[in-house]
Amino acid sequence: MSATATARRWVFAGALVLAVLAALRLVVPVGSVPGRMLASVLDVGYASSVLRLTVPIAFAALGGIFAERAGVINIGIEGFLIVSALTTVIVARRLPWAGVTGPAALWLAFLVGVLVSVAVAAVFAVLVVRYRSNQVIAGLAVWLIALGLAPFITFTLFDSSSPTIDTFGTWSVPLLSELPVVGPVLFDASPTVYMLLVATPLAWYALRYTRLGRRIRACGENPKALATGGVSVSRVRYAGVLISGVLAGVGGAGFTVGQVGTFVAVGQTSINGRGFLGIVAYLFGNYNPFAAVGGAMLFAGFDSLQLRLQQIGALDIPAELFGILPFVVVLVTITLVRRTRVPAALGEPYEGEE
Amino acid sequence: MDTAVSLTDITKRFDDVVANDEVDMQVERGTVHALLGENGAGKTTLMNVLYGLYRPTAGEVYVDGDRAEFDSPQDAIAAGVGMIHQHFMLVEPMTVRENIALGWEPVTHGGLKTDDARIDTEVRELSERYGLGLAGDLDTPVEQLSMGARQRVEVLKALYRGADVFIFDEPTAVLTPQEVEELFDIFSQLTAQDKTIIFITHKLGEALTAADGITVLRDGERVGTVDAAGTTREQLAELMVGREVLLDVDRAARGASGDDTRLSVSDLAVTDDRGEPAVQGVDISVRGGEIVGIAGVDGNGQEPLVEAVTGVRDADAGTVRFDGEAVTGLSRRERLDRGLAHVPGDRQEQALVMEFDLVQNAVLGSQHRPPFGRRGRIDWGAAREHAEAVIEEYDVRPPNPDLPARSLSGGNQQKFVVGRELSREPDVVVAAHPTRGVDIGSKEFIHERLLAMREQGAAVLVVSASLDEVVQLSDRIAVMYEGSFVDVVPGDAATEEQLGLLMAGEQPDEPVPTGAGR
Amino acid sequence: MSRALPEGLRRTLRRFAGLSAVERVLVSGAAVVVALLVGAVMLLGSGYVASCREPALFLAGTSFCFDPVAVYAAMYQGAFGTPVNQALTLQRMTLLIFTGLAFAIPYRAGLFNIGAQGQFVLAALATTVSLLALGPLVSGPVATAVLVPVGLLAGAVVGGLYGLLPGVLKTRYGTNEVISTLLLNFIATGVAVVIVKRAFNNPEIQGTVTRSIPEAATLQPWLFPPGTRFSVPVLAATLLLVGGFWWLLNRTTLGYDIRVLGRQQAAAVFGGVDDDRVTVLSMVIAGAVAGLGGGLYVMMVVGRWQVGLPALGFDGIAVSVLAGNNPVGLVPAGLLFGALQSGGLAINFQLGIPRELVDVLRGLVILLVATPELFRIVGRRLQRQGRLRPAGGESG
Repeated sequence: MSATATARRWVFAGALVLAVLAALRLVVPVGSVPGRMLASVLDVGYASSVLRLTVPIAFAALGGIFAERAGVINIGIEGFLIVSALTTVIVARRLPWAGVTGPAALWLAFLVGVLVSVAVAAVFAVLVVRYRSNQVIAGLAVWLIALGLAPFITFTLFDSSSPTIDTFGTWSVPLLSELPVVGPVLFDASPTVYMLLVATPLAWYALRYTRLGRRIRACGENPKALATGGVSVSRVRYAGVLISGVLAGVGGAGFTVGQVGTFVAVGQTSINGRGFLGIVAYLFGNYNPFAAVGGAMLFAGFDSLQLRLQQIGALDIPAELFGILPFVVVLVTITLVRRTRVPAALGEPYEGEE
Repeated sequence: MDTAVSLTDITKRFDDVVANDEVDMQVERGTVHALLGENGAGKTTLMNVLYGLYRPTAGEVYVDGDRAEFDSPQDAIAAGVGMIHQHFMLVEPMTVRENIALGWEPVTHGGLKTDDARIDTEVRELSERYGLGLAGDLDTPVEQLSMGARQRVEVLKALYRGADVFIFDEPTAVLTPQEVEELFDIFSQLTAQDKTIIFITHKLGEALTAADGITVLRDGERVGTVDAAGTTREQLAELMVGREVLLDVDRAARGASGDDTRLSVSDLAVTDDRGEPAVQGVDISVRGGEIVGIAGVDGNGQEPLVEAVTGVRDADAGTVRFDGEAVTGLSRRERLDRGLAHVPGDRQEQALVMEFDLVQNAVLGSQHRPPFGRRGRIDWGAAREHAEAVIEEYDVRPPNPDLPARSLSGGNQQKFVVGRELSREPDVVVAAHPTRGVDIGSKEFIHERLLAMREQGAAVLVVSASLDEVVQLSDRIAVMYEGSFVDVVPGDAATEEQLGLLMAGEQPDEPVPTGAGR
Repeated sequence: MSRALPEGLRRTLRRFAGLSAVERVLVSGAAVVVALLVGAVMLLGSGYVASCREPALFLAGTSFCFDPVAVYAAMYQGAFGTPVNQALTLQRMTLLIFTGLAFAIPYRAGLFNIGAQGQFVLAALATTVSLLALGPLVSGPVATAVLVPVGLLAGAVVGGLYGLLPGVLKTRYGTNEVISTLLLNFIATGVAVVIVKRAFNNPEIQGTVTRSIPEAATLQPWLFPPGTRFSVPVLAATLLLVGGFWWLLNRTTLGYDIRVLGRQQAAAVFGGVDDDRVTVLSMVIAGAVAGLGGGLYVMMVVGRWQVGLPALGFDGIAVSVLAGNNPVGLVPAGLLFGALQSGGLAINFQLGIPRELVDVLRGLVILLVATPELFRIVGRRLQRQGRLRPAGGESG
């Protein structure tokens, strides 16, 4: 994990962003429509929404880190997100029939969503570790299956393709939320944001200091070293993939019940590529949880920008361009600032264990 | 006399191949014992038996007087046997501390945190006691450490797991001379505390320096066990290499070759995959009608040298010329077009596509030019004829060109590869380990063919770890050691003992008569 | 050495010679069967949950709205029952062959081209735009002869360029093509939408749609009823193209280079293959073929570009995987998936079953084909129980 390479990327990305803003500033007269836009964009509401939109991408990224550092390519994270989002909505809608309502129902739905994601991850893990499935294709397959399951189940169970549910709303931390700027952004937010703020350092800590975390890291670099230490490589790989299932599950479930309160099941679904953005985020962040979340924030930043600009009013730059801007930025960055140190044994099935 | 390790009558068979044939070895506690022999002598296999990676086909292992039946390295470790492999089992981006404790980590706080403090205390204590000097480096990622330091991490790893017997597999292969001295110091420190050391090596000089006792293996058998103190280098060389001479193939007088230099290498320098200099300042010229053999133990730069000459790898510096024309900047395909034939050391990865049948493999390297490739199309009829011709002439069995390469035995694969390459009517032939893993009959056949190339006026360069082979074939012999040629001698001038010494990095007492020399 | 081979060796050799192809076909077949079974379970499940006037099936005391057997029968009818249905199946099959080739060719060279969808989308737009531009300039009987090639060419060129990009990124910068092609898909869709909205939007129709291409450029059905949006000559040409690619892979130097590079990179270096050149060429070819598919989609099926193009690019991956990444195999695999899709539409229409069921089957099939070990282990177990004769073993 070369710290200098990661730092270099951040500088590059930051410079890119600043350059874009600077260019806009130069081109755009204050007081005009765009000028007002620029001003409104750089405000507290924007920061809050960025943080909120970061959640699904960041959890996908954190999940991906665990799987890949254990040596398993997990392209199908998008599928985990879709499945957990879908499940959460279904359960949240159905629980009232069983007499469970209110916040309890929402949290239960959240939990079930995560569990289903873990179940899917378990199946993926077995196929890939035990049955040596082609990891890239299996991951794509998981995603494609999820893309099909979502509308199928939704149409079967509901009349619309985008059922709605309640959301968690926001939690306010007393006192701290009164702080200027930081207060409303960090301390008056959806519980999923708090989960992210906790999960990120936890992930970093786990990889660095816990026994399992270290074994996961060893597994992706040199599984033989692990095997000669008497540890089962398969078990560690299972653990990595299952953990990615948990984290992705939180991302997907949190996205629906924590934020948007709905799930569009058709086409690319509400998730709309955020799982892939997560993958790119951790590649960009060199498998470091903090850097990966930073990358996720970058994408969420553009995402949120687009929404805000739409709100402001007629603007010449189409929303779609903003939608693809994160992908473009990332593609450019990954190409020019290469040197992502990929785990040495990534994607190689481990022989020598039955 | 306290025997720490006793191997009795160990035989290990893999299908038809007998890797160890009734080998005995006893090692006294608190001593250093060297296991000496050429490539393929069976040293690593024997130690893999001791370390639990293999079950012996026959024979018994005793550790500390107790019968040992290891099913896995874990059993061996539990019995106090630790192994330091030639290719370190380290996770490079992780720290020294993390590597040492991998799989054995103590935990605190109900399993939530590895007890780094405890690891540190133990490791520091061990480092102190055995003079390993890593106490200050526990936080350093292993990839930042020198090879010598990494090796010491491996030693600490074994100590941390409670090893009493340490097996080192070719420990000096990756070390600088200073690091080698430090390693031998560590041996002393370990044995001073009653630890037992066995190290595998092909370098007899080191065996004499560092070991108390030496067991010599050759072709799977134990040919001798001696005390280092009373033994000379020549005696060891004789044991290692033996006086066995294969049938002397009929050949024209040595040194009878043309005047023109067909292959010339000047001041070649090549870096290997790790970024280390593997070939340094190599010069050699091969004339038409001459065979120059490169003798040496694997890993002294022969492979990068061959790769650079044949265009598989770029050289860092120096020139390669075919028939006077500089090819150093030319691509692989261009070199092939200029009359190069290359029999590589790794037939399974390079020379053959294992899933392809022999017809498809027959055109590998010539697929773009006549008679096989014309204007972008491949003439499979011609390819099939060619495959059949090679199969026929080189007696490849089974003689079915539609079989995938992977279904042939190693010897037949090699015969096919040699046949394909030599049938190009090449000007320059580079053959690396041409008879590795090949049965006797095929070996002789391949040798005959190489000599035939020589008759036809090609410049032939042969690299081999087998001294017999090199001596048999070569008009001149260059001995390669640590990236350069220590000497180039006429084929029949040097005795095997002298060559063995040169290969081991030693200089023979009586210099070899130069004759034609470089 | 005796010429007579020992029996065991002879048996082993027979197992090695040519059986891995058979094994692959078996695995593909088994994958389809298992997927259909899972689909049946899904139908039962959704039939249990859904509400309907009269249950189609009564099993073990519970009523199900859907009877899997009836559903599959309806799917079959929907795929092959009438000429109109057949046309739809063949249409899909044709397009899937193109996107399938776009995955198969790079795969043989050792690359994962996940970007066929993006290549397809942009090429479709290019075809539309070029035809819209050129349309007013030609008329009369000459029009078709001019417009059709132009449309196809535009698609192939743009698709090829969009395949060139990840190819160059890979050879020049080492950028992993899985990630780059994946990202480029999203980028392509966004860019296409923007271009249409800004420059080519049809003012008369709601939504992001272009105007229709000239009539002369649409490919008319021949043997099939008008309006079926399928052209037999196109299918014939497609089959020729498949043959052409088979020929490319197996009979040309480039094809040989591609195959060696895809199998063993060390052998490719040894054999003088220029791996950069082959990599880029494979990606360009793939993009161009996907682009042709896009062009055909516009000219044969919808006659314009609109948001929400079908996911033929990803379906192509599934088809290719099922076909063992072999051009010839794409034909039966394409037919199967084409049938699944048109069948899926039919059951959607008639029975109200979401046609995304087919998407799930698609994913399942490739998941199973990508895990041959699963079938091998099951096969071995059945063998041991004496139920199966040895059909394939240590190959592949």
